[in-house]
Amino acid sequence: MAPWMASGLIYSSSLALLAGSITIINITTRTFNFAVASMATFGFYIAFTCVELYGGYPYQYYPLVALFGSFLGLVCYFGLNRHLLRRKAADITLMMSTLGYDLLLLSFIQMYVDYLSFTYRLFPRRVTMNIYDFELFGVRAAAIILPIVALAFLVTLHIFLTRTKFGIAMRATIENPVLAGASGINSDRVYMVAWIIGGGMASLGGAFMAMAITGTPVMGMYTIPLMFAGAILGGLNSLYGGMIGGFLIGVTEYAGVFYLSQRFGPWVQGYRMAIPLMLMAVTLLFFPRGLAGIPLGKVWRGLTGKKRGASL
Amino acid sequence: MKSDNNMMSGLKNLSERREIWVALVIVILLTYLLISRGVPIIMTIFIDFAVFAIITMSLNVEVGYSGVPQFGRVAAVIAGAFAVGAIPGRLLAMYMGLPFGLDYASDAINFKIVPQINELLASSFLLSVGFILFSIIIAALSGAAIGWLISRPAIRLKEAYLGISLLAFGDFLMWVGHNWSGLVGGSVPIYVPDPFRFFGGNRFTVIVMVIFVIAVLIYFYLQKVVHSPFGRSMRMIRDNDVSAAAAGIDVVKVRTQSLVIGSALAAVAGGLYVIYTGTCTAFGFQKLTWTFWPWAFMMLGGIGSNVGVLLGVFLLTILRTMIVIYRSQWFGFLMAVGIDPLWLEFTLLGAVIIGVILFMPHGLVPERIEPMLPGKNVKKIIDRRQ
Repeated sequence: MAPWMASGLIYSSSLALLAGSITIINITTRTFNFAVASMATFGFYIAFTCVELYGGYPYQYYPLVALFGSFLGLVCYFGLNRHLLRRKAADITLMMSTLGYDLLLLSFIQMYVDYLSFTYRLFPRRVTMNIYDFELFGVRAAAIILPIVALAFLVTLHIFLTRTKFGIAMRATIENPVLAGASGINSDRVYMVAWIIGGGMASLGGAFMAMAITGTPVMGMYTIPLMFAGAILGGLNSLYGGMIGGFLIGVTEYAGVFYLSQRFGPWVQGYRMAIPLMLMAVTLLFFPRGLAGIPLGKVWRGLTGKKRGASL
Repeated sequence: MKSDNNMMSGLKNLSERREIWVALVIVILLTYLLISRGVPIIMTIFIDFAVFAIITMSLNVEVGYSGVPQFGRVAAVIAGAFAVGAIPGRLLAMYMGLPFGLDYASDAINFKIVPQINELLASSFLLSVGFILFSIIIAALSGAAIGWLISRPAIRLKEAYLGISLLAFGDFLMWVGHNWSGLVGGSVPIYVPDPFRFFGGNRFTVIVMVIFVIAVLIYFYLQKVVHSPFGRSMRMIRDNDVSAAAAGIDVVKVRTQSLVIGSALAAVAGGLYVIYTGTCTAFGFQKLTWTFWPWAFMMLGGIGSNVGVLLGVFLLTILRTMIVIYRSQWFGFLMAVGIDPLWLEFTLLGAVIIGVILFMPHGLVPERIEPMLPGKNVKKIIDRRQ
């Protein structure tokens, strides 16, 4: 596997988790979570601190990272989102409130980074996490482990949402909050769980992302358009769509930059962000509801030539 | 919304009182700073205030009056800044027979050319004024072009989708400026000719005054716009675009116009800022400073209220400056563990946004509910009917 493929795979799995985090919070609480940027950065710094201070591999601290992200999500829900949802605030207000939370977290990250470099003499302002990585089958372990973790997350979420009682209650709330409330589902709890899962995914995604790109305090701030692009590409109304959308965004960026820079020269590197965004724009042009809006069944029937209901 | 006479006059009184209170707080803080720190700090506050007031008012046109979730304010600011950084200096260089093509922005040449241009500008008052006017015009034009460009998706996409697209667009423009070194030097800052060199030692004072006067002019212009029929149709579209269309308002046209006006004004601010700092670099225009800060200012002041926006910008600018000035006195405990108190600016902004949303959803000075026609005209019409 070429190095760019390995980091592309890591990057794509991280974007899958981040876009999935945006999607799950959006479909349950209507909130476009800006704070995912700083949650991601915080997740990366938790992994960095633990590896630096206690040694070992970054992977063993991922449960801690996810827990911390869930905590950040819970704080946002109980401190902010719940009151606004009860007040039936407009979508833009919800979005702005998470932006405020994001700025708060960003300032805490910056202070924490200052503290780390002052107290522990670390250099946390520019971090390349892949020096802590090891080799597995001749490639970087992250390129194998992280996509598997992301896939496992997707499968677990799928089982949770389709096989457990609470997951089904969650889907009911997403489908129709009023009706779900009338049949005795506590929507407050559903929102809370969405923030817990979303926060955990966001921080984990940030910890993944630092394995592919340079980790800085503004890492999340720089990549947030891509996270949103992934969620929008997935159509914003399906969790699987969001995760696949994020993955595609990452793959397009790395593969696109690789092939285009071979074709046109290295200056393409500078505009790498434009490639996935263009993919998003083009997809939205043809499928205004994103990837989840593509009528796969219809396409399949069209290809096989079977009419609807013909094969009973 | 219920709007009987009593409630409206009560609301009006309240909002008037609030304006006075906020203004009083600002004056007290300013006086305190003036006494304890002297004039230069007041000047810095004024120039920050003027630049951000223009940007925030332009944001208010788009968000507060026509309801576009403008998360890409930085795009228009960048357009103005790049236009002023790239074009007027090149024209003068061409006139003086200096290299003006792509080499103008190269770091090996730019720092030699610009002082020569500055000498020319310093020798002629007329040329300096012309330079400023031309810069403002070119900034406004490029801002208007960007505004028109972003109005194309803005009339199709829905709220959050549009906000994210605009955010991405602003970032994209920054990366273009950062990578295309022929425009404004890419990663190396280029120098911008200084038309205020003519004033010698008073340069800073004159700049502050000029930008401040421009901000005030823009305020009066926007007050006119908001109270014109165009302003009313903007607010009608914001409140309900279907009913506005049913009433015969061309929704697409009004939205496009408001975006063009807002972006042009923001671009003027960007251009003036570049002239003030004397350098122009793409990385200086981050969405954090030029999109999210104006949003915080606007939300504190009150979305849809120009006076409120001005007060909000003033108050937060003063508080920001105070963090910078008193960082070692007030936040010594942070510095003791190696933390730079400057990060408290972000804490302040985040706390302001959250606090305003939770406890004061309409901001310091809420938008006034105004009848479509002045009260006496309504009375006249009713009298005629009876």
